[in-house]
Amino acid sequence: MAEITCGSRSTREINADIRKALAAGEREIIVREPGARHNLGVGILEPVRIRFAGSVGYYCAGLIDGPSIEITGSAGWGLAESMMSGEVVVRGSSGNGAAAAIRGGTVVIHGDAAARLGVSIKGGTVLVAGSCGYMAGFMGQKGRLVVCGDAGDAFADSLYETACFVGGRIQGLGTDAVVEAPTPEDIAWLDSTLAEYFPGAPRGKQFQKVVAGRKLWNFDKREWKVWQEAL
Amino acid sequence: MRDVLQASATFQPAVIEDIQAKADSGLYRIRGWGTLRERRWATFDDLTFLPCSLTRIPLEGYREKCSTRTVLGTRFARNPIELDIPVMITGMSWGALSYNAKVALARGARAVGSSNTTGDGGMLMAERENSRTLIYEVLPSRYGINIHHMRMADAIELTIGQGAKPGTGGLLLGSKVSDMIATQRDLPVGVDQRSPARHPDFLGPDDMIIKVEELREATDGRVPILIKMGASRVFDDVKLAAKAGADIIVVDGMEGGTGASPAILQEHTGIPTLAAVCEARAALEDIGLYGEVQLIIAGGIRDGVDAAKAIALGADAVYIGTAALIALNCNRPLYVEDYQKLGTEPHHCHHCHTGRCPVGITTQDTELMKRLDIEEGADRVANLMRAMTLEIQMLARACGKSDIHHLEPEDMAALSMEASAICGVPLAGTRKVFGR
Ligand SMILES: Cc1cc2nc3c(=O)[nH]c(=O)nc-3n(C[C@H](O)[C@H](O)[C@H](O)COP(=O)(O)O)c2cc1C
Ligand code: SF4
Repeated sequence: MAEITCGSRSTREINADIRKALAAGEREIIVREPGARHNLGVGILEPVRIRFAGSVGYYCAGLIDGPSIEITGSAGWGLAESMMSGEVVVRGSSGNGAAAAIRGGTVVIHGDAAARLGVSIKGGTVLVAGSCGYMAGFMGQKGRLVVCGDAGDAFADSLYETACFVGGRIQGLGTDAVVEAPTPEDIAWLDSTLAEYFPGAPRGKQFQKVVAGRKLWNFDKREWKVWQEAL
Repeated sequence: MRDVLQASATFQPAVIEDIQAKADSGLYRIRGWGTLRERRWATFDDLTFLPCSLTRIPLEGYREKCSTRTVLGTRFARNPIELDIPVMITGMSWGALSYNAKVALARGARAVGSSNTTGDGGMLMAERENSRTLIYEVLPSRYGINIHHMRMADAIELTIGQGAKPGTGGLLLGSKVSDMIATQRDLPVGVDQRSPARHPDFLGPDDMIIKVEELREATDGRVPILIKMGASRVFDDVKLAAKAGADIIVVDGMEGGTGASPAILQEHTGIPTLAAVCEARAALEDIGLYGEVQLIIAGGIRDGVDAAKAIALGADAVYIGTAALIALNCNRPLYVEDYQKLGTEPHHCHHCHTGRCPVGITTQDTELMKRLDIEEGADRVANLMRAMTLEIQMLARACGKSDIHHLEPEDMAALSMEASAICGVPLAGTRKVFGR
């Protein structure tokens, strides 16, 4: 295992050290004293394990494909944005836009997530043990978004095909968001996934499922009211 | 008889048609192309070059060299872009454009040592394979975002907005969201795709500083980062983009083209390209970064004359979109009956949004696409870019410049008071700059 201590060094230097360790064939790296620096662990494409021992700033684990990244503290905005595959686990909470535009992989947040969680999500899975702020799932295209606690206002606004699940209360639904009963397959998937990541979470059958009402998929003058709110 | 029938100058035939179309559909009008109305504002046509006579000595056209080499991204990137000419192909998405059009543009640009840019739908592998210098666009929608593709690119363009529709997101109507395009964009087939206006992971200029750094980290500081914006509050926006760490700033004026946008945005938002280049230069001068941050100008650039004037006013290069599509036969009188099926005629078509492009450029229909031969199209694009470059050189030589980048405002006079005031050059026939 390689150990990198951030100390007073710049993000550029720390990321370069991570890349050096990867090039030397290290498959487990621990990064100490991340000090909430931005852009740590960006663009990693190797199937490695990296642990940031502390909190990280914006875009940690952004644009990655394959690694398994753990953050023992909290994360700033844009956690794991645009990731293609891999796993990102945050033991604390995350700032705005966590898992924005991800295309695959799994993002796990043990605390709460701020606004715009999983915005423009294109695939993969987002799991939040706590609650999330407003506009989570906005314009979600594919993939699954699971919030075990409460969801803020404008939840699941303007969805395409993302399936959203909420274990607690939904403060308000977004435009064209529709609540429906989870299918037996959804419940089975929730149970097995949550058992793996959050053993104390509610059971799958306690979740509400939110999907697109599909009124925004193609313009229809009879749905003018919906469009007026969406645009 | 018709001469004495009086039509309204307010409710003109096009206005009547517009009102009735909206009364049918309940929706604002959506179309392609860009501003259609008569340009009553100052444009590049309001400037004229002042070639050498006695006060300056011209270059000998056939013997003396006039360099067109264009280097962009010298501020921070390890590998700036080096182009043979200052005319580049702008970002137009695979989705708005057909596969054949994308590949033809890439090959055309490659043939003349220039660049092309991806678009709001990710990178097409054939585009990379056929490009010399490929710029990878990162847009608010992040359709097709792929770190591997980003790493294959020669530069990254972070797009904040477009001239045709600043402040709003993209649009691709269902007829163009084919199986392939839907897969590429992770969307259901046939939806009217609306892209978000804001990036999903930053809001304002301060966050953008960190975003730009992220893109540099992801590409190891190798390639230049461009920031593209629609021309709105250009003077302030350019300063903010430069502060955010842009190597290159792209300003797309209100005449800028589009594959599909609300018509009112094309006609009534943003500032004209001429005004935009002047504001952008003034902004960079104001913060002491003129020359260090390069400037690309887009929006209604038709020929080498527009390009030369933009360069003289402060641009390092120009992007062309619509002109390149016209080179590919857009609006050419071929398959006339198909233009008529769209309710239009050659030279009047702006129907890219329908997905039924009669000449195979802005369509996903495999039959229509066959009408655009890739080799022939690439040749035509290359020829246009060559001709534009020769036009720029001709003007530069006549003004006594051995490098087209030496053209300057001093080399021009204004033909209208507005252009004089905007560009800070004297009105022809006076020694006066209006407004000073
Ligand atoms: C068919 C078409 C598709 C376009 N697609 C995009 C796009 O995907 N992303 C983008 O930033 N701009 C897009 N644009 C705008 C161009 O990049 C550029 O800003 C504009 O076309 C410049 O104006 P011009 O067409 O008058 O040269 C598109 C333009 C056209 C004509
Ligand atoms: S000919 Fe094709 S590319 Fe040109 S305006 Fe018409 S639809 Fe658009």
